[in-house]
Amino acid sequence: MKTLDAQASAAAGAADPGWLAARRQAALDYYDKLDMPSDREEVWRYVDLDFTFDDFALVEQPGEAHDIDTGIAAALPETAGWMRVVDGHATAVDAGDGRAVFGSLRALLADNSELFEPHVAQGTASDLNKFAAAHTAFAGDGAILVVPPGAAIEQPFFIDVQAATDGAVAFPLVTLVTGRSSQASVVIRYRSPDDVNALVVPNLELVVGANSQLKVTVVQNWGTNTTSISHLRAAVDRDASLHLGEAGLGAALSRLELQIDLEGNGSSANVVGAYFGDDTQTLDYRYTMHHQGLNTASDMFLKGAVQGESLSIFTGMIRIDEEAQKTNAFQTNRNLILSDGAAAQSVPNLEILANDVRCGHGSTMGPLDEEQRYYLMSRGLDEPRSNRLLVHGFFNEALERFPEPAIADVVTSWIDTKYRAAQEAGRV
Amino acid sequence: MSLALQVSGVRASFGDLEILKGVDIDVPFGEVHVLMGPNGSGKSTLCHVLMGKDEYDASGSALVGGTEVMGLPVDERARAGLFEAFQYPVEVPGVSLNDLLREMGEVRQDPGFDSRVESAAETLDMERFRERAVNGGLSGGEKKRSEMFQMAVAGPKVAILDEIDSGLDIDAVREVAHLVEELRSDDLGVLIITHYSRILRYMNPDKIHVMVEGEVVRTGGPEMASELEASGYVDIAGNEATVPKPAVTPFDI
Ligand SMILES: Nc1ncnc2c1ncn2[C@@H]1O[C@H](COP(=O)(O)OP(=O)(O)OP(=O)(O)O)[C@@H](O)[C@H]1O
Ligand SMILES: [Mg+2]
Repeated sequence: MKTLDAQASAAAGAADPGWLAARRQAALDYYDKLDMPSDREEVWRYVDLDFTFDDFALVEQPGEAHDIDTGIAAALPETAGWMRVVDGHATAVDAGDGRAVFGSLRALLADNSELFEPHVAQGTASDLNKFAAAHTAFAGDGAILVVPPGAAIEQPFFIDVQAATDGAVAFPLVTLVTGRSSQASVVIRYRSPDDVNALVVPNLELVVGANSQLKVTVVQNWGTNTTSISHLRAAVDRDASLHLGEAGLGAALSRLELQIDLEGNGSSANVVGAYFGDDTQTLDYRYTMHHQGLNTASDMFLKGAVQGESLSIFTGMIRIDEEAQKTNAFQTNRNLILSDGAAAQSVPNLEILANDVRCGHGSTMGPLDEEQRYYLMSRGLDEPRSNRLLVHGFFNEALERFPEPAIADVVTSWIDTKYRAAQEAGRV
Repeated sequence: MSLALQVSGVRASFGDLEILKGVDIDVPFGEVHVLMGPNGSGKSTLCHVLMGKDEYDASGSALVGGTEVMGLPVDERARAGLFEAFQYPVEVPGVSLNDLLREMGEVRQDPGFDSRVESAAETLDMERFRERAVNGGLSGGEKKRSEMFQMAVAGPKVAILDEIDSGLDIDAVREVAHLVEELRSDDLGVLIITHYSRILRYMNPDKIHVMVEGEVVRTGGPEMASELEASGYVDIAGNEATVPKPAVTPFDI
């Protein structure tokens, strides 16, 4: 186990090409300079970080991977390739049939240095916060996918990201690049056993090439003692589209800071989320949709529920540049508060500099609808059963918009189970 | 004949507002009754009070096939055999009609349930709505059709159909009326709430009840429909003399 210092950073970057070594060094400087974020900063409001990096260490040997499928693998009988990343190390790779470059970032880096240079470790600025800096300074491995121009790959790629070692910190990096006019779908699943107290700082970098279509499904199902501070940054080129679905179920604290830049004219992003907190979980989403090109379109649609004493936060920012005329941008965040001890925050924001745009946002918060429950009960359904059906329906509206329906079905069954467990334990 | 529904002395208020002032209605098994009355007289409130909606302070007795349902939770009343078709069916986003039917089947443990679903779906041409959200984006008429569908599959002892004919086109009104007549059996009593005698042309109601200001002020035979059509509800309360003789024969309106 290594503490996070210059030596650990150098070890993580032992095989770096020069360009990456320079990025790493700059990030290490920021890491040393920056303080841990505090809830006095607007973007960290409501979140109390009760740990520091010193509480965790990097592992040189990944812990034992969990092989037991919880339904996701079964829902993906045919993949275009799959891999496993444990404690930040790629431990298993099936690169697929070679239609795309896919595999361990570290293993592929030397041979593909020029191909990767414009993309890797470019996604999230190192000076954004201490976690982003730490990521670039200490990330050693992860998954990379580069889809060549024109390739249309129907089966999804599957990346199984795990934390397996108690006390470990890991910085998995996932870089997904679609070439011009290509199509690909990627499913990323996060998990760890409940007894593993780990800190995971994943970064997702999406580079969506001109006229390409990228679908990404993220299933966050960390164990109850894992903390995850994650960044996702996407750059979407001309006429390209990104379809992103995130399901947030696990972790003690899971934060996802997302920024999508609709850079190219005619680019679009469809972002769907379903998150469900229980016990003392905190689920924290900070989303920014940045319209830069002409004629761009975005839709953010997130549904969250909290029960037990959990807390959820969604802040959504739609930023429309002066040049981004003819933008269509919408965001919806609906929240179900299922028990008295639970709370949700929903903060939609708009920052519009262009004058020819169509833009809308809505946010709601409240318990299950009484009229709907009465209607269902009048059909003979007892109250707990009616409530289950309503929770199912609430999330269904988001999950039916997910990129991979088979994955959405699995998430639906997990959500149903999670609510039922809370009913049986009297937490709702 | 024994009674499908026996309502006696039902009172209900909402806050300070007294809505039902002691309602008595009997619907025997095998019969189809009609409840009419001016807007705001309390017809829908009676439905909801019988169904057990908790926003009203209610008292009195309601027997469904001999079982007292007042005081029971809503779902137990439904399972005791009471079905209410809502005047304003509620949209349940994200829950498909099939999801709801599956749950209805599970709580009933009735071997005939699935076959009733299939046959009613065909009769009422509901197939294309089954994967859609319950009442979601349905037209007014489609919602009523969905209510009839659910009633047919629920297999109740008493069905109260609150303005099931409102917003229906002429063909659909006839269809609903025919369906009610088709479902007429010795195991079912039906109470139809309506503002229009139109629907009565296609069925043979046994009795008509008139509610005014929270009370049933008159009960009579089917011929009363045309009387009401001619005179309106003015003066009907206890003043039969002022109600003119029917100007037209029943159901020729
Ligand atoms: N939940 C409620 N809150 C406030 N007032 C109510 C409520 N329910 C019923 N009322 C009042 O009680 C009275 C009876 O209403 P109800 O809906 O039962 O009438 P109705 O006979 O069904 O009328 P319509 O023919 O227009 O459907 C009305 O004055 C109505 O405003
Ligand atoms: Mg009414």
